[in-house]
Amino acid sequence: MGETQVVAGCSHSVEADRIPAVIRVSALRKEYGKQSAIAGISLEVQKGEIYGLIGPDGAGKSSLMKIVAGVLTFDAGEIEVFGVSLNSDSNAERIKDRIGFMPQGLGLNLYPDLSIEENIDFFANLRLVQSSQLTARKQKLLEMTHLEAFRARPMKQLSGGMKQKLGLICSLIHEPKLLVLDEPTTGVDPVSRRDFWAILGVLLKEHGTTALVSTAYMDEATRFHRVALLFGGQVVAQGAPEEIQQLVPARIVAITIPSPAVALSRLRAEFPQIEALGSLLQVFVEDKAGLDARARVVRVLGDVKPARVETMDPQLEDVFIALLRIKKLTTEPDRTSTLPAAPVSNPTQPKTPYAIEAKELVRDFGGFKAVNKVSFRVAPGEIFGLLGANGAGKTTVIKMLTGILPPTAGSGSVAGADMQTAGRKIKERIGYMSQAFSLYLDLTVEENIKLYAGIYGLPASVARERFRWVVQMAGLEGRESKAAQSLPMGLRQRLALGCALVHRPQILFLDEPTSGVDPVGRRRFWEILFTLAREEGVAILVTTHYMNEAEHCDHLALMFAGRVVADASPSDMKSEVERQSGKLVEIDAVHTSAALDLLVKAGFKGSVLFGSRIHVFSKDVPGDTERIKAALSEDPARSILPRSLTMEDVFVERVMALEQAVETTKNGAVS
Amino acid sequence: MNLRRTVAVAHKEVREIIRDRLFFSLAFIVPAVLMVLFGYGLSLDVEKLPLAIIDRDGTSMSREYAHRFIDSRYFDFKGYSFSERDLEQPITDNLIRAAIVIPEHFQKDLLQGRPAHIQTFIDGTFPFRALTAKGYAIAINAQITADSLASYLAQTSGMSVAEAAAVFQPVKLEVRYLFNQSLKSIWSLAPKLIMVILMISPPFLTALGVVREKETGSIYNIYASTLSRGEYLVGKSVPYIVISTLNVLFLWWMATGLFGAPFKGSFVFFLLSSVLYVTCTTGIGVVVSVLVRTQVAAMIGTAIFTMVPAVLYSGVLIPISSLSRSAKLVAYLLPGMYYTNIVMGTFLKGVGFSALWRDVLVLLIYAMLLFSIGYAFFRKRPNS
Repeated sequence: MGETQVVAGCSHSVEADRIPAVIRVSALRKEYGKQSAIAGISLEVQKGEIYGLIGPDGAGKSSLMKIVAGVLTFDAGEIEVFGVSLNSDSNAERIKDRIGFMPQGLGLNLYPDLSIEENIDFFANLRLVQSSQLTARKQKLLEMTHLEAFRARPMKQLSGGMKQKLGLICSLIHEPKLLVLDEPTTGVDPVSRRDFWAILGVLLKEHGTTALVSTAYMDEATRFHRVALLFGGQVVAQGAPEEIQQLVPARIVAITIPSPAVALSRLRAEFPQIEALGSLLQVFVEDKAGLDARARVVRVLGDVKPARVETMDPQLEDVFIALLRIKKLTTEPDRTSTLPAAPVSNPTQPKTPYAIEAKELVRDFGGFKAVNKVSFRVAPGEIFGLLGANGAGKTTVIKMLTGILPPTAGSGSVAGADMQTAGRKIKERIGYMSQAFSLYLDLTVEENIKLYAGIYGLPASVARERFRWVVQMAGLEGRESKAAQSLPMGLRQRLALGCALVHRPQILFLDEPTSGVDPVGRRRFWEILFTLAREEGVAILVTTHYMNEAEHCDHLALMFAGRVVADASPSDMKSEVERQSGKLVEIDAVHTSAALDLLVKAGFKGSVLFGSRIHVFSKDVPGDTERIKAALSEDPARSILPRSLTMEDVFVERVMALEQAVETTKNGAVS
Repeated sequence: MNLRRTVAVAHKEVREIIRDRLFFSLAFIVPAVLMVLFGYGLSLDVEKLPLAIIDRDGTSMSREYAHRFIDSRYFDFKGYSFSERDLEQPITDNLIRAAIVIPEHFQKDLLQGRPAHIQTFIDGTFPFRALTAKGYAIAINAQITADSLASYLAQTSGMSVAEAAAVFQPVKLEVRYLFNQSLKSIWSLAPKLIMVILMISPPFLTALGVVREKETGSIYNIYASTLSRGEYLVGKSVPYIVISTLNVLFLWWMATGLFGAPFKGSFVFFLLSSVLYVTCTTGIGVVVSVLVRTQVAAMIGTAIFTMVPAVLYSGVLIPISSLSRSAKLVAYLLPGMYYTNIVMGTFLKGVGFSALWRDVLVLLIYAMLLFSIGYAFFRKRPNS
């Protein structure tokens, strides 16, 4: 598999060399006051490419894209777009007729009180699109995006996915030569995201449009021809995703071990990059000539015998972290080995089999059912993931369980107390961390922690002890008197977690706790969660829209339109999908869209475009591989290989099935 | 300038104003509400002051004296009282604002040619009202004194009362108030309120309209397009100028219809100069909006630049000529004063362009200056 990918990557750059670059950036710098946003970036984007900028919040993606679109000045370096140097306002104006720009924030650049059609018409008029062309283009784009039926609907009443597609139409209505999209998929559910990439791919190909697209999701890298990994205003690596993967050749050795402490300390001495998720240790083992990764790990472990050992290919995120580590770019201080030992003064908690229990919870907002008969249970020491798109009802469930919002119907208990009558008792027994991290940014680390200790009425001696614990857990030693504002996102997030844990709750609610945090910080965060769950028996309910984080959960509930539509462990969910739909086969075709047509004609109805690859579900892999080969006989694919399912695949598969079911019942009712 | 793009911006803006509840009420409801609130609340007339009288004399002359106050339209007689102590409570409860004490032997003293002393209490919490009330009391008292002298003289000399009065007042002051004959403060207040309201509402609307786009990020649609700065500013401000012009018509109707203010000048001249004025104040909104980033900052900015000067430095409460030197300078630097001249001229004086052309010219320069500043500071490629 690796070899075919290298070939694919090379062929791209060979093609690219012949055509002059659409974007040429060299030694670009941008500062906001004293804060450096871009610290010397150089890159080139070729005609027809989908070029991805990947990195966490604050990496400099947005600034770079705005500069490229000619809507932001820069401080040093050079930038050329379509061969025009953007060194003055008037030069920047010269490229704008050929550019489409969609700024960050889902649908925020659209006009909420205008309908879909009025929004499109506004953009078309701004761009002086001729009315005859407009009618045809509008028709085509609305059909492609399935928005045709909602022409007259005000934008503010659209779902996240629909807003995003409308934004795309609006930025494409004048058929630009270069499309600049700033995080178009953030906050959108995986189904809409997949849909979005497919539409984008087709449209760009049709007109030979070049695109510069940013994303915070590492796993979207495969959607791009080439990517630049950004961190702290610098390019950490750039090239085809496969090429970047090859920059740090390695294998992941995953070992399962019931009590991992000894194993972990031995492995850490040898391997700097280990992800410790409870009893599962994922060791990033860089390739060394002639040495087998698995054998090396087993040898280091010595007399510690793991229950299970598996090896797999590293994800791009693993490589990104390795690159940051090698280039010493990370903002994370050196890790403390494990969580500081908690003192024995554990407050007495009522013993119940379930830490959280939701029974048929319903919440109506007017006529709209935000949550519809949701039931689930979370055992102590379990990490329970609540997944779903924006607006699926996740936050509403959390608000009801924490006693902030009364349910319309149904019941639930949290920490042994009835959520309807014991709101106060519940609040004393739980920790809650919101998307916004609920910190007072002007206060120092110490003041924040003491404030929360005060809110929970901890006695002074306990408060001091907990303060030290939080500082140690979050790796904040030496920064106690820094303002929370000045901390990097990862540290800020762990400080917020510490504040939520200051009163030693046995149940922790986390609402999208990792949004905007860099991968290194995210991993460290999850390691802490695992230690809390496994060693202190804390029950954790977490919502996330990072699908690879969902893989870490012990148990998942998938929410769709206010209902829980799947409730199982990640591996059970995957095998369920495999049982129903078959295994996933990935096809790397030379001419992707032509191949996709051929496959659909050959009967592979569920074929979807995934970046430059095609994904097909197959119940008979050897047989289907032959059939695919036959279908593509005229222009053989570079590779046809089975691929293991990700949680995203599961989510998409589940939700698409549900949407189809809704569709069928609707149609049935009509006919 | 491309008309289609400009119209697209203007059209979009109108749709948003009409469909957004907050903007709609700011545009169409708030001005009328302000007019009603200020019009009824800011009356400067002091009339019907609640009055109590303590008559310790109880004679025909004391009753006659009291009746001169009781019959006055400036006082509202609430009743007789017997002692100052009885008045304490109603005065602290604001039921009584003035009291007159007629002493014992009032009639006797007068008839024997001795001066009588009347004591007057006036609530001094509002100096302006207290001074006015004092003026009324003095005037009424002087009239009574003159009348009684005249009747005394008539009785002793055989002259008629009118003749006797003429002897006492050889020079009689005849006052005729020009432009506002009955000195009704609402007549001059209502036109000035049009100035105040049109100083407040258009800049607020415009500044919020532009800054809202900055906050949401939809301003990037403008930055990233080929729309020119001029097209954007014109397209964006024309709807607000049109809306404000509609408000001019409505407020004019309220001033003349609801508050009964006379309108003596040329309506066309009034309307045209009003359009110029709202263009000016819209320009203030444009300038504020290019300088700030958030809606909160826009609100505070426009409030400081418009509300305070409109009320204090534009001749609404205090005539410009009575302002201190530095305050006068402020007044001359702001557009409000010039438009005050125009509304007062057209409403009460019935004068037109020939008398007011200087004010019109200043407003024109003002409007051009504001839009030029807005144009100069509006960057399609900002630095942050």
